[in-house]
Formats: sequence, C-alpha cells, structure tokens
Amino acid sequence: MKAILTDVTKCIGCLECVSACKSANRLPMDIPRLWQKNDGLSAYNWTSILPKPLLPETGNGGQRFRYIRKQCRHCLEPACASACPVGALHQTTLGAVVYDSDKCLGCRYCMMACPYGIPRYDWESPVPYVRKCILCFERISEGKEPACTEVCPTKATIFGEREALIQEAHERIKSNQGKYINKVFGEHEVGGTSVLYISDIDLDFLAYKSNLGTRPLPQTTAAAMKSVPVAFVGMGAFMYGLHWIIKRRSERQENPEKPEEKV
Amino acid sequence: MNRVQAAKSILWVVVGFAAAVGITRMIYGLGATTNLNDATPWGLWIGFDVMAGVALAAGGFVITAIVYIMKREEFRPIVKPAVLTAFLGYIAVIISLLFDLGLPWNIWHMLIFWNPHSPLFEVGWCVMLYTTVLLLEFSPVPLEASSRYAKIRTFLLRFRFPLVMLGIMLSTLHQSSLGSLFLIMPYKSYPLWYSDILPILFFISAVALGLMMITLESLVTSHLYRRQVETELLSKLARASVWVLSIYVLTKLTEIVIAGESSLIFNGSWESILFIVEITIGVLAPIVIFSIPQFRRSQKWLWAGSVMVVFGMVFNRINVGGLTMMGITGDSYFPSWMEISISAGVVSAAVLVFFFAVERFHVWETPPRHPEAEPTSRPRFDRVSQVWLGAPSVAGRTKYSLAFLFSFAVAVAIVPGNEIQSKGAVTVPTMPARGGDTLFIDGNRDLYGVAFKHEMHISQNGQKQSCVLCHHMNIPMDKQSGCYRCHKSMYQESDAFGHQWHSSPRGGNIACVQCHEDGRERTAASAKKCDNCHRDLLPDGARIKHERNIAPSYVDAMHRLCVDCHKEKALTLEGKGDLARCARCHETVPPEYMSPGAPLLGNRPYFNRVMMPGAESLLKADD
Repeated sequence: MKAILTDVTKCIGCLECVSACKSANRLPMDIPRLWQKNDGLSAYNWTSILPKPLLPETGNGGQRFRYIRKQCRHCLEPACASACPVGALHQTTLGAVVYDSDKCLGCRYCMMACPYGIPRYDWESPVPYVRKCILCFERISEGKEPACTEVCPTKATIFGEREALIQEAHERIKSNQGKYINKVFGEHEVGGTSVLYISDIDLDFLAYKSNLGTRPLPQTTAAAMKSVPVAFVGMGAFMYGLHWIIKRRSERQENPEKPEEKV
Repeated sequence: MNRVQAAKSILWVVVGFAAAVGITRMIYGLGATTNLNDATPWGLWIGFDVMAGVALAAGGFVITAIVYIMKREEFRPIVKPAVLTAFLGYIAVIISLLFDLGLPWNIWHMLIFWNPHSPLFEVGWCVMLYTTVLLLEFSPVPLEASSRYAKIRTFLLRFRFPLVMLGIMLSTLHQSSLGSLFLIMPYKSYPLWYSDILPILFFISAVALGLMMITLESLVTSHLYRRQVETELLSKLARASVWVLSIYVLTKLTEIVIAGESSLIFNGSWESILFIVEITIGVLAPIVIFSIPQFRRSQKWLWAGSVMVVFGMVFNRINVGGLTMMGITGDSYFPSWMEISISAGVVSAAVLVFFFAVERFHVWETPPRHPEAEPTSRPRFDRVSQVWLGAPSVAGRTKYSLAFLFSFAVAVAIVPGNEIQSKGAVTVPTMPARGGDTLFIDGNRDLYGVAFKHEMHISQNGQKQSCVLCHHMNIPMDKQSGCYRCHKSMYQESDAFGHQWHSSPRGGNIACVQCHEDGRERTAASAKKCDNCHRDLLPDGARIKHERNIAPSYVDAMHRLCVDCHKEKALTLEGKGDLARCARCHETVPPEYMSPGAPLLGNRPYFNRVMMPGAESLLKADD
C-alpha cells in the first residue's frame, strides 16, 4: 500500500504541489463557479492548500498560519467505491482509489458517500464526469512518485509505503515532544486512509464531522446488503405461507364437512 | 369544458413547459440548469422524483398483496388502477432519473458492470425488474382490446400469481434499500433521520404511503370523472393504514429513544421543527383521524387524512434525501425553477397517460364516459335544417396541442440564455491597480493581489524602451490604459471592442457597411482591422501580440504576461532560478496580516491570492 504523509508544520504554502498536480494531470484552468465549495477543490483542482490562522501564542518561528493540503484521502475501505453502483470508482492494489469514466453513469452517489466531501463534479459540462485525486496512479504504477510530493520544496508532503510512513510519523511525534498533536490523522479514521497527516492543529475540519470513528463506512451498508437475499426469500415465504393459510381457511369455510387431510 | 378536460389542459401546459426546459438541461448540462453543487450533489430530482416517487408507487404491491395473497376480494375493483399507477410511477421515476444522471445514456451499465456492495446497484436492478413485472401485470388490460391478443393475455393471466409474488418480493427489497442508500452517510445525516434500521422504516412507511396513495388517487379520479366514491373500500384502507402508521411511528420513536437522540426533537433547531412537522402532519394526525369510524367514512376526512400522509411521507423522503444534511454540509440548496418544472412535467405526463389508459381500457369496473367522445367542434351549419349553429369551439385535442405549444414557447422565451451559456461562472468585474512605485495588482479588489514593483521593472528592463514590453495596447487617445480597461472580467474572457461605441456615432444599423464589407455576413472576420483606423494601436516590440478583439480574463492576462517573461528570465539570469515560482510574486503573508482579526484566507474560494505588504494603507488612501 502506497501512501502520502503530510507534515502540516513543514508546509510553507508555496502551492507548488497544486501547480504540479495541475500539469501532471493536464487539468485546465478553472474559474470560480457557483457550485464550488470554498475549499479550493474543483473538477479541475484536485489538491488545494487551506490556510488556517494560528493563535499568536502558538505561532513558532514567526509563522502564524498553518497550510493544510486538502486532497483525496484514499481510504483503505473507500465509501465511494463501495457506493458506486457500477464500480467506476475502485481501489487498486497500490492503494489508490481511481475512476473509470467509461463505466460511470453520473449518479453522484460517491459524492454523497464520501465523509470528506472530496469527489467533485464537472457540472459545467453536458458530458460530466466525477473528478478527484487519483494518487497519480499512472506515475506510481511506473514506480515514480506522485507529482505533488515530488515537487514539494520542504518535503512537507512525502510518498512511500504506508507502514513505513506511519512509523516515520510516530517517530517524528515522539522525537519532537509537544510539537505535534499525538495522533497520526488517517491512521485509524474510517478504517484508515492512505493520505496521512501529522499536525500541531486539529484537522477535523477536513471531514464533515469531527471524530469520524474507526468503523469503515462500507460496513454500514454491508449488513443491510447481506440481509437482502434473506429479505427476498423471507418475504416470499411469508407471503406464500399467508396465502396458503388464508386459502385453506376459506376453503374450509366453504366445505366445513370436508376432512382436513384432503385439503 | 368538463373537469377532466380542464385538468388535461393544465397538465399539457406543464408538460409543454417541462419539455422545453428538459431539452435545455440535456444541451447545457446540470450546472447551467440546476442549483446542484459540490456540497449538495443530490437535489429535488432524487429527493422528490426518485425517493418519494418510488414510495408513492408502493400502492401497487400493497393492493396486489391484499387481493391476491390475502384474498380480500372486495378490493378487486381497485387493483387495476393501483397497478397502473404503480407502473406509471416507476416509469416517471426512471424518466426523472434520466434528467438527473450526468450520463443518462449509460443507465444500462448497471446490467453489465456489477457492484453488489452498493445499495444503489440493488435498487437499480429491483426497479428495472419490478417495472417489467408491473408491465406484465398490467398488460392483460390493454390486451383485452382485441381478440387477436387473447392468447398472450391468457398466457400472462396464468402467471399472475407468481408475478404478484415476485412483485411483492422485489418491492420489499428496493423500498427498504432506498433507506440503505443513506446508511453510508452517518457523518452527513442528521441523527433524527439516521438509524441502522432506516431500511425497515422505509419499508413500513412505503406500505402506509401506498395505502393512502390509492385512497387519494381514487378520490381525485372520482372527483374528476364524477364517479361514485368507493367510501366503504377506502375506509377499510384507512383503517389498515392506522395500524401501519402506528407501527411506523412506534418503531421510529423507539429507535430515537434507544439511540439517545430524543432531546434533539425538542431543541428548537430547524431540524427539530422539520421533524415535528413531518411526524405530526404525516403520521400522528392521520392516525387520530382514521381511528374515528365516522371520520373514516366521511369523504372530507378521507381527503384530509390521505393528503396529510402523502405530504408527510414525501417530506420524510426529502428530509432523509438531503434537506436535513444542509446543516452539516453548510450549504443552502433550493431547487432552481428548471428543476421544479421538470419534476412537475414528469408527474403531469404520468397523470396524462393515466387518463388516457382509464378512458381507453377496462381499468375501472365501469369505464368513464369518454370526455372526448362528445364533439367539441360542432359543424357551423346544419345542412338538413338549414340552421346556423354558432361559432365552433376548439376541439379537445387541438386545444391540448395549443396548450403544449404555447407553454413550450413560453419556456423557450424565458430560459435565460446568457446565464445558461456562462455555465455558472461567477462574474467579477475588474478595477485598476493602485499604488505608485509599487503597484498593487488586485483586479477584483478583494485584498489579495500581487505587489508589482513597477519602478524596478522599468529600470531593469531598459527604462523607456521597456514600456512596450507589457503595455501591448492602449485605448485610442489614451497614453496609459489600465489592464482592466480591456481585461474587464477577472476570470472570463471579455470583448475588448466597443461595438455600441463604434456604431452609434455612425448612425447605428445603417452604418454596418462602413466597417463590415457589404454583402457579407456581419462577423468579426468581415470587419475592418482595428489598426485600419487607429494608427499606432499596436506598438512594435510588445510581448503580447494582439490578434482578436477578445481579451482573456484578467488573471490569465496577468499570468501569461508575467509568467512567460519570468520563465525566460529564470533560465537566462544567473541565480534567479526561482523567478518562475508562484511564491515569487504571491508572497507569503506578512505577520501583520496574520492576526486573528485579519481577513481569513481560508474563507475564500481562491486563497492563493496573497495580501501584499502595505495593502491596508493603500486601501485607506483609496477610500
């Protein structure tokens, strides 16, 4: 499993990752549209930098802002992929959650399902597709790094094996006591994500709710989906049984002298 | 005009309007015609047309279960209309879905690309299968028309019981799976409408809604066709619905109490008001009304009760489908008039087909008198008696065609062309840059711009010869036109040629040929070139070559001009490798603008515009 680790304290907000992402994925210019959320992401912007002001007393080294890079989290058990009725969004063995536009029918259930609100729609197009970060899937399957981590001048965002990065993150937290919040964001949330963060400010605003919990979202529907065949057969059996009982009762009412065995 | 004809005329008006809007939606896409957005990707078409539509069509499986499974023969007269309603309801759901899907021509993909983990996959399959089942269940009725189809008809009737069974089983699945759709959104849904037993709640409420939809449909059609109201049957349905609604409300409230969310009902938030309205009008009040036997037998109360349940359950589906998520996503979505008219048009079309079917086929025990059978267009002159019969009225079908065409034309006329073609782009006019030796380039004056050292650029690029590098064009009679004069829009292209300005002093339309060649189409291509009249408009040595009258957006113009030059210099100049980096011009925010009181960059869609040092004093001087 490949992963990205972003150290929020190291980011200087230079936007090199944003511009590298645009050129690597050949994304066109985009202009503000009525339907965009105010987080810089759009169908043509797959990663963005969100500046968050720091309280004066927590600022270190003169830096009073934290820059948080927003992108697809590439969940280990992605809600979008489990929601997609045709499997257009799916997870690859490398961990990247990618999109097959030939399969998509445009239902936008993935956008509803994502707890981080990441997938964006090409609303302006009459032939719209879902767009999101695909962890530079073509590049990583050739053994290269994603464009964003490759260009980062301060190595605030790095690419590697997920296990190694988690270890690295815990080491950084341990060796700089008090600098970071003692938590690797994305290690356990919704079953773990491939895009991890360590930070000195809380990153809950990246999701729709704080404390996402560790239960992978596909499990919420899995129970209901498992009971589908049971419900199907059960309802059929129940209805047939009801029908049989009612039919027998009405027949007996019509011919009360008829012996029971022959019914 | 009788009631049916009046209703049909209105419905045709709605359908005509929706047809024009529907074509607009297909040509220009979702963004241009709907209010859907990245925070609310599902709107009216899913919440009302699909979610509520499927639930409203539940009458079909409920009534077939009552008649064919439970053998309550007294309900047989209302089976055919209920199955017809269900069939048309599902067709309406599918048609609305075609408008809602981004790629509607791929709707069949669910047949070949399977993802059995997805509740939507299951719903899709069930809806497809159940619509087929409903078609087979209903088709014996139209097949009656001719003895040619007698064999097919008997063949279908032989399979009625298995079809009914299959229909009930499929309905159970997808009515409940529509609830399962929302199980995957625990972080977006408001707790009052989210629970693990959502599928069960959806199924029970669909049964109740099915019963009440049959009641309402029977009342409406009896009113329109002036038929005897089947009060006795309807009161029995009402009594059954009391039981179902009670089970529903008990299950729902128990679940809320167990989950510890009961305090949310009365906390006064707007979600709590939605919840109270939904439960009181849709469930509690009808339970009270229908548990009183006199009320059940009164037409007025049947009307009131069934309307309340239908409203309440539709409201419930809309609440679950996204209305109550807005508090969490922070979005405020209200459907655009185009979305509303397409929804109304699809429903109206379904009702029209219903009218058509009940008038042509043996849907009711006693078919209604054909409203069109009576000639509305009488001959003007009776040849036998030689009597003038008065002016003819417009015949029924002609009237409907006129209604359709009229409202189609109205819709075409009021579709806002420019707004739709701009595809949701936010219009941001630009304003001049401010400052002296250092210019603050901030076209839309939102405090985020670039500090441009004007003096430094002049001195480093060869004093007076350097002006032309950037100032590629001045407005005639002007020495230093600001960039904003031609690049009028921050993010969109704008027209740099003042057509009105040029034409009106020359006499308006009669002056066209002064610029456009006579006898040719009047386009930019047939016009004279600007420098035909304006000498020295385009100075030699400018970096930007002026080719068309279309000026790129302010942002594009600045980036092209500055970045291209910076890239060249970064390669040629020693030690200036970072000249082409974004942060070279978009400097990091200086400390004085980072205090908590300062404007937050994160609140803006385009945060990478960075405030320059000294911006505040510049702005103060400006005011």
